[in-house]
Order: sequence, then C-alpha cells, then structure tokens
Amino acid sequence: MKLTRCVVCSIVLAATVAAPAFAALGGDGTSVQADLAKLKGGLRLTSTAAFTVHEITTSDGTVVREYVSPSDKVFAVSWRGPFIPDLRQMLGSYYGQYVQAASAPHTGHRHLAIQQPGLVMQSSGRMRAFFGRAWVPGLLPQNFSVDDIN
Amino acid sequence: MRKFVALALIQLMFVAACGGGGGYGGGGGSPPPPPPPMQTIATPGPPNVETLTVDAGPANGVNQPFVSVKVCAPATTNCKTIDHVWLDSGSSGLRILASVLSAAPALTLPPETNGVIPLAECQKFVDGSTWGTLAVADMQLPVSGETASNLNVQVIGDPTYPVPADCTPPIETTVMTFGANGILGVGPFIQDCGSACVSTVIAGTYYSCPTPGSACTGTMASLAQQVQNPVSVFVTDNNGVIVELPSVGSAGMTTVSGSVVFGIGTRTNNALGTATVLPADKTNAFITATYKGTVYINGYVDSGSTGNFFTDSSFSACASPNAGFYCPASTMNETATLKGTSSSTLTANFSVANATTLFATTSYSAFSNLGGPISDPKALDLGLPFYYGHNVFTAIENANTPGGIGPYFAY
Repeated sequence: MKLTRCVVCSIVLAATVAAPAFAALGGDGTSVQADLAKLKGGLRLTSTAAFTVHEITTSDGTVVREYVSPSDKVFAVSWRGPFIPDLRQMLGSYYGQYVQAASAPHTGHRHLAIQQPGLVMQSSGRMRAFFGRAWVPGLLPQNFSVDDIN
Repeated sequence: MRKFVALALIQLMFVAACGGGGGYGGGGGSPPPPPPPMQTIATPGPPNVETLTVDAGPANGVNQPFVSVKVCAPATTNCKTIDHVWLDSGSSGLRILASVLSAAPALTLPPETNGVIPLAECQKFVDGSTWGTLAVADMQLPVSGETASNLNVQVIGDPTYPVPADCTPPIETTVMTFGANGILGVGPFIQDCGSACVSTVIAGTYYSCPTPGSACTGTMASLAQQVQNPVSVFVTDNNGVIVELPSVGSAGMTTVSGSVVFGIGTRTNNALGTATVLPADKTNAFITATYKGTVYINGYVDSGSTGNFFTDSSFSACASPNAGFYCPASTMNETATLKGTSSSTLTANFSVANATTLFATTSYSAFSNLGGPISDPKALDLGLPFYYGHNVFTAIENANTPGGIGPYFAY
C-alpha cells in the first residue's frame, strides 16, 4: 500500500520539476508547506524554539531534511540514503556556487567538502549509502550548532 | 618487465620480513600498534590472481589501486587492453572512459538496449556524476585470465546523448576529472542500483535513449539490464575478492605492487584462514565501528577511499589544497573496533600523519597514514591506507562462502 503511495509521489515529483518540489536552501519555509500538501505522508515535522526540521522520505528511500529558521528561511539541508537527491532542487540559488566549487581539482570519489563564506557543503558515501549536508553560514540561527544538521 | 620483477622481489621480501613490527615513529602519546599478523600475498597469475598496482596514475593521485582490463566486443577478438582502471570495493560495475575506448586503436562496443532502445546511465559519486551509454562487452583480466562475458558496462562521457538535467554536475567525462581510465567496481553488491531501480523510475539513474543527439528519458531497469559487478559474472571464483597489498612505511612509497585475488574459499590461494568475518548490513553493506568510545553505525572498509576518514575533533584539517585530509603536529596512532551483525569483532589500528608533510615528497603516491574528516557524523571509512599490510576480503551479497553468505568484510 505504501509502495503505491510512493509511486504517486514520484509522479508528482516528475510533474513539478519546473517548480522545485522541495524548498531549496535559502528559500522560504512556507513553500515547504505547499509541497508537503502535494507529497502527502512522507513528511515529518520537528520543531524546537530555534528551528524547525522538515523531514521528507522520498520515493527512493532517501531521507531529505530541511532546516527552517524562525524567520522562515531554509538555512540548511541534508540527505541520507541510497541515492543522492537532485542537488539542483536541494541547493536552489546556491547550486551554481556548488557546481563551480565542486569542479575544482580534487582526489577521490568518496568525500567532498566545500567551505566558502556563503556556502558550506559536505558530502560522503559510496554506492547505495550516501550522506550530505549544506548550510548557509549567514542564515544560521543564533547559538545553532551545525552538528545538529544530520 | 625488469621493473616488474624487481617489484615482485620486494614484495617477497615484505612477506619474509613481516611480523617484526614497525618502528615507534609516533610521538602522539598513544602506544604503537601491535605488529601485523603474518601476511602472505598471492602471486599474480592464472587462474584467479590479478596484479594490483598503486601508483600516481593518469591524474597524479594518491592511494589509488589500479588493474589492467582487457575489453572485447562480445564473442570477437576485437579487443583493447586498458591500464590504470581503479579497483573499487565501494562500487559495483565496470566503467570505462569513452575517450580511452576511442583512442587509436579505437574499440567500438555494441550498445546495451532494453530490447529495442539503447540505455544510458547517470552514476552519482559524491564528487560528481558519470554520464554515458551502456554497452555490452566481454571483459578479461590479462594476468589471471578471469573472464566476464556479455557484461553490461558504462561508457563514461560518451557524447551520443546530452546529459540529463537531473544528473548532478560536475559531470566527470575526462580521465583527469575522473582520476583514472576507468573503474572496476568489485564491491559487496551484484548490481549498482539493485531492486530499487527495477520497479520505479529513480531520477538520476537509468535512462532510455531513443534518438542520438536528443534527450534521454528516465527509465526502470531490470537487474539483468543494470551494470553488474563483474566478479559476480565470473564462471568460478565469483563470490568475492581479496585485496592484498604489502605494508607501506611511514614516509610513503612511489609504487606498491600487490594482488587482487578472486573468489573466497574456492581455491587454496583464497582461503579465509585466520581471518575474522564481519557480516555487513544487507541493504547498505555497513558494519559498526567504535572509535574513542563513540559508536559509528555507518562503518565500512573501501579500497576506493584514498584515506581513513573519521570524525575526531582533536585533529585539524590541513590547509588548502589538502583540506580533505588531517594535518596533526605529530603522527598519531589510533584504534577502532569493527563489528558486523554477528558478535565477532576486529581491531583496526591505523596511524595518521601530517598529509601536507607526506605530500611534500611529490613522487610518492602510496601512504599508509593518510587520514581525513568525514561529513557523515555516523560514518567511519577505512580506506586504502588500512589495506596496506592486510589481506581484506569483501564477500558479495547472497554469495555462499566458507565464511557464510555475503555481504561481509573480513581480514
């Protein structure tokens, strides 16, 4: 039964490529609410005084988290699971910065670290098991520890 | 040839000398690791031992183990031997750069289709993606003679079809950006995607490509259509691999020569012996690693990782351009305890030296004491540095071995 719902999810995702299905890094948290209404089921909300986490389990089993500040900005995103999600959707307006930084010479296929004033991204893993996270230092809530992006 | 013989002799000397323990070159305050158990490295040759070489490779990398692979159009003698193919126990499948296949003398492989329409694949690695058509090839390993017929392979950077929007850049299409002429994935899984791609179209994986020059469309792919672990396609010795590399001293080495042995417990040269089996999670092939009292549930051993990657706030990352590695003031000796889904445990000792200091010897490409940070707070990754001086077994999922059914790691 759950499988059927996931197939529906993936169709919705495919149909909304033009408008990001997930609220992207730096975007408004309110767009998450709209997307969640469409996606149904896969979503879980966790709130603290300092921030809200939107957790979406995608149809392929990857768990995507969006960290939304009290001022309603997505200040961090993370992913964990068998597939790396579409980073164009995840990173939004920061996507170009990511592509440019990731294209710099490096060694190895297992670990990537981008540390720039406006964007931090860390990604690791191997086939069928990936983890990554990205955040905008200037958007982090006060007293927020990036260790909480997991 | 002379060079090869010399390396083989050095390798034999290593076997003879091991067990004596290493010097106490540390200074980090922790005790030196105990001497490694006696290591025997199988001699390359038929029917199941391939030469494995760590050198700078085509992209001047570090800790990359390479094999040569002979690729043929199926059931023909139209073949090409490709050197510097990266042996990776953390992925599955053979992938060759299109530019390498097309270099004179060019080899053209027939496309793999879903019966009618050619297939292509986006394979996401952490640092970027490979994009290219799927082809069918007979693969033969030139030293051992091990053969995988009608193997589905990815031709990386084949320009026939445009890169789909959901195949995440940077797209690694050249030998320099990919870091090798190809990659031979001999990891714990039989296919790269597996059952997930069979019944659902997963974005950024498999595509059907009806018209050259036009966009491809995401597609499901049956297990038989997916890129397969070549070892699982072998007629015999198909249940796993052993990576056997000799010890490397604290300063590093220019080149290291060892073996990759196919099969586990299928012949006298690939018995488990005293190795301890750590059964891995069937879904993601993780084991558990405990380091300084913290349990990391996403632990793995991986020949495709260039360092030992772990979280430890007492280490500082190096300055650019080596920020992906640690740069301690003095060499530190560390210990992790590995555990699979059984009660068995194994101790993993490793050293971490200053990467920038190590890299100052630019002619060296093999380092046993390279470490670095890992972004996943649940992960600990023992990469190629850990393989030096150990014979590390990787058993393939669902395969029977004398040590049980894969997936597992053992040493």
